[in-house]
Amino acid sequence: MEKMNFEHNSFGKRLGSMLKVDFRRMFTMPLLYIMVGSCLVMPILILVMTTMMDGSVSVNPQTGVETVVEGFENTWQAIGSVSGTAMSMDLTSMCNINMLYFFVAVLVGLFVSQDFRSGYAKNLFTVRAKKGDYIIAKTLVGFVGGALMLIAYFIGTILGGAISGLSFDTGTAGVSGIVMCMIAKIFLILVFVAIDLLVSVAAKQKTWLSIVGSLCAGMLLFTMIPMITPLDSTMMNVMLCLAGGILFSVGLGAISNIVLKKTSLV
Amino acid sequence: MNAIEIKNLTKNFGQKQALRGLDMTVPMGAIYGFIGENGSGKSTTEKLICGLLVPSDGQIKLFGRDYTDVDVRAKVGVLIEAPGCFPNYSVWNNMMLQAANLGMKNAEEEVRKVLKLVRMEGAASNKYKNCSLGMKQRIGIAMALLGNPKLLVLDEPINGLDADGMRIMREVLVDITREAQCTVVISSHILGELEKIATHYGIVRNGKMIKEMTAQELEESCRTYVALQTKEMNRAKAILACKYSRVEEDEAGYIRVYDAKEPEEIVTYLYENEILVNEIGTAKIGLEEYYIDLMKEGR
Repeated sequence: MEKMNFEHNSFGKRLGSMLKVDFRRMFTMPLLYIMVGSCLVMPILILVMTTMMDGSVSVNPQTGVETVVEGFENTWQAIGSVSGTAMSMDLTSMCNINMLYFFVAVLVGLFVSQDFRSGYAKNLFTVRAKKGDYIIAKTLVGFVGGALMLIAYFIGTILGGAISGLSFDTGTAGVSGIVMCMIAKIFLILVFVAIDLLVSVAAKQKTWLSIVGSLCAGMLLFTMIPMITPLDSTMMNVMLCLAGGILFSVGLGAISNIVLKKTSLV
Repeated sequence: MNAIEIKNLTKNFGQKQALRGLDMTVPMGAIYGFIGENGSGKSTTEKLICGLLVPSDGQIKLFGRDYTDVDVRAKVGVLIEAPGCFPNYSVWNNMMLQAANLGMKNAEEEVRKVLKLVRMEGAASNKYKNCSLGMKQRIGIAMALLGNPKLLVLDEPINGLDADGMRIMREVLVDITREAQCTVVISSHILGELEKIATHYGIVRNGKMIKEMTAQELEESCRTYVALQTKEMNRAKAILACKYSRVEEDEAGYIRVYDAKEPEEIVTYLYENEILVNEIGTAKIGLEEYYIDLMKEGR
């Protein structure tokens, strides 16, 4: 009987080529630069504008109630608050780095849905029988994209603090606490990327569904972020975020893999 | 060994049964013309072969291995519906992405080669979204040819191609089956074009394979008929119908007699009935007519 030999592609080779494609795509996507740019500009605008408005009083003409605008007292408030501080719903608590986890949902949602909308997924999954490769590559790409946004926001915060003349006093957190806080936040991206990826592969070409779904799912974990990544983070916080990120990536990644295996890809 | 072996393939979309126990055998090196009406299950079968849909039941084997085998699937080229390209990327970048997906080492050289093959080398820098329908089809074919595939699955690849595009397509497919031992499954409604290249045929209706045959068998099955014209068409038709079992008038205004052995026999018979024949000759029904007849039989 006539036999045909096929070249064996190892996991490393498959993943390597897929990562190459995905990173090339991400770094040629204008959306990434728009988002990273926004993340750089946003804290500058927030810090400068809130400082300018700090202490200004507005009076409701009907009720006569006076409202005093409270701005940031310290630059690092845009990154987080020290542990033990109750999470309030004011401007300084909401307009900080934590909202970037929702930006990650938009990035991952658009990135994945573009694969299915363009028909690229057909080419890809015809020659790539292992759906796991796709999940791993997308998780890593989403992680890097999210990390770039967080770093841009951090740089923007420093610039914004300097421009608005806010204090850079690290207080009880210390420099190491802020560094650990940032590292923990970066690792925490993995948790959100895993959630966003699961929603996106289930929604496939429906961009709106993947973004709305990811935002809703992310909202459930949103309150956890300030608690697990306070400004005075330690190695423990970093390890917790890393472990959580890996657990979510592996667990939800396995579910995403099943979703791709068991559902139609076109 | 067969390139594709499908047994009892079933696919349900909710309550709708798209495939009902389809069997299909595609020998290695064949150009397999996959024919059927709209909604008969051709595209569904092709998507299942490519692993884009999950079968409800049945078995698919590619080159003797399960269709999910990673190594086999890396050697499948596909063009289903439209080429999967990013609209804002250039043709070149789209091709390079697929080359990277395939893990090709000499990607640039290979991309250049396949673009030249489909006469698209001059349009490599064009944005995909600015390409015409025909150009997009050619890009899709070029993309499917990347990585020296051993199996090509092409769904309506001729759609949108001009005469030159169709000729190029024919030449490319014949070349790759001869030189690269590639097997091609091609579905198309343009049966005249398919007839020029296909070595095997599969005819599908209502999600079931109703006929599989080689081009040789089709040639033998395609009946020879005698076509004629007279001044008294209606009377001639009635008289011929008394002697021959199948007499029809075609769209071109000729009477076709399917079970006549020689034209002379008909001329003599009509002359005896005082009808003079103006024009007569023999012809053979092509794939298109064979297919239409087959479809009529099933209704």
